[in-house]
Amino acid sequence: MTRVVLALLGLLLGACPARALVAELSQREIAVSTGFTGAELIVYGAKDSIPADIVVAVRGPQTPVVVRQRTRVAGIWLNGASARFDTAPGYYAIASTRPLAELLPEAERGRLRLGLDLLPLRASEPDAGDGFRNALITLKRERGLYRQAENGVSVTGERLFATRILLPPTVPPGLYLVDVLGVQGGRVVASRDLTFTVRRVGTSAEIWRFAHAYPWLYGLSAVVVAAVVGWVGSVVFRRG
Amino acid sequence: MQVYLPIAEMSVDGLLIVGIGFAVGLLSGLFGVGGGFLMTPLLIFIGLPSAVAVATSANQTMGASISGLIAHWRRGNVDGRMGMVLTLAGLAGSAFGVELFALVRRVGQLDLVVAVFYVVVLGIVGALMAAESVRAWLRRRRKIPRRLHEHFWMHGLPIKMRFRKSRLYISVVPPVAIGFGIGFLSAIMGVGGGFILVPAMIYLLGMPTGVVIGTSLFQVVFVTAAVTVLQSVSTQSVDVILSLLLMVGAVAGAQFGAAMGSRLRGEETRGLLGLLVLAVALGLGYTLVRTPEAMFVLEPIR
Repeated sequence: MTRVVLALLGLLLGACPARALVAELSQREIAVSTGFTGAELIVYGAKDSIPADIVVAVRGPQTPVVVRQRTRVAGIWLNGASARFDTAPGYYAIASTRPLAELLPEAERGRLRLGLDLLPLRASEPDAGDGFRNALITLKRERGLYRQAENGVSVTGERLFATRILLPPTVPPGLYLVDVLGVQGGRVVASRDLTFTVRRVGTSAEIWRFAHAYPWLYGLSAVVVAAVVGWVGSVVFRRG
Repeated sequence: MQVYLPIAEMSVDGLLIVGIGFAVGLLSGLFGVGGGFLMTPLLIFIGLPSAVAVATSANQTMGASISGLIAHWRRGNVDGRMGMVLTLAGLAGSAFGVELFALVRRVGQLDLVVAVFYVVVLGIVGALMAAESVRAWLRRRRKIPRRLHEHFWMHGLPIKMRFRKSRLYISVVPPVAIGFGIGFLSAIMGVGGGFILVPAMIYLLGMPTGVVIGTSLFQVVFVTAAVTVLQSVSTQSVDVILSLLLMVGAVAGAQFGAAMGSRLRGEETRGLLGLLVLAVALGLGYTLVRTPEAMFVLEPIR
């Protein structure tokens, strides 16, 4: 908070006119532990009166996915055609003071990759139709992993702004990039880049890492654990 | 109580999982089977990925079978030689099964393959069990004495071996084929396979009933242990937390089930088990033909 106040002072005194925008995150690290039920992050900052509007875009690490279409063959539903999306962000959220279409022309939004409709999602199969792309966005939105809030950024007294970023329990671990953009007259006139990390911590993270780093040892341990629990359990319950 | 499963990478209701373990343990104690064939479909029904359901169910079946094996071993009800033959063949079968499992998962048809295997295998086994118990019931009413087992053509195949405890001198080909098949099904379906192995040992191999249960448990324990390790290595889908929760319920449930089972007559038990097996087959068959809620599915690439 002190950083924001200092920056604000700087702005008001006009000591640093180029810095028309400052921003900060409420947290720089999100720990995903055993009981993790999601998290809320706040992006806040101060601006001059000149960039009237603010856009906040959050991009998670790339998590490749396959979208498969269900098809019916001889009365049985199975997975038919599929499309791979190797560069799909695992998380994407965008919030702005006004609807994005009012703020920036489409060409500019496309260049800056702003908006769910303009996400650079390209299927590895060139002939895959828009259906797969739309299905990917719909399914990710249902899981809270893709979000777009047209009026998600609130401004107080033309100077202070803030927005919440909601991270669902299934949020992928990795580095997250936050772009805070000041928009005026259909152009981006100021910007700030921030980052935060999502890390798995605690017992469940240790188990996951162990299972992936030492699969043989993990499998053998699972066998030993099952044997011991099965044997001890039966002894306890027979007496009880 | 929400519990995060580290390998399934999702939160589940811990009490629901223990409850499923208890219910399956109860039925397995009642019918004297491992219960993996009930566990896997139930886990799939509550939304766990098929891969985790199958691999973890095999791990849980191993834990649930070990105390039975120890008890039968102490009483001398295990034909060690037959057990070794079945187990070695079972290990080969499970290695083959896990390879196929990983391949099918890569091409995105795992859900389909698991469901189809369940429908076909349980459909056949359930129908045979139900028919057999009806026949037994009719025989008892008409007081026709049951015939002892006969020598099949397959017992005369080459590479004969003496199984002293089973009082058999037969070719190793039938036990090897049976062991391999059970190992394969264990990998694909996450079952111990006792519900197929026990009748196969009685009717196909002609083993005396006294050593059948102990010897089948011998094979089940070692093969499900192998499946656990192989699935951990090639698909990383064994969830120890899920397995522990299931075992806590199953161990408790099995004791109640065993007490209830002693009040039922043999053919009645087998008839009920047959109906239960058929019901599971029908339930999974329905998921294959039902119109899905979403026309697209999302799958992470590993």
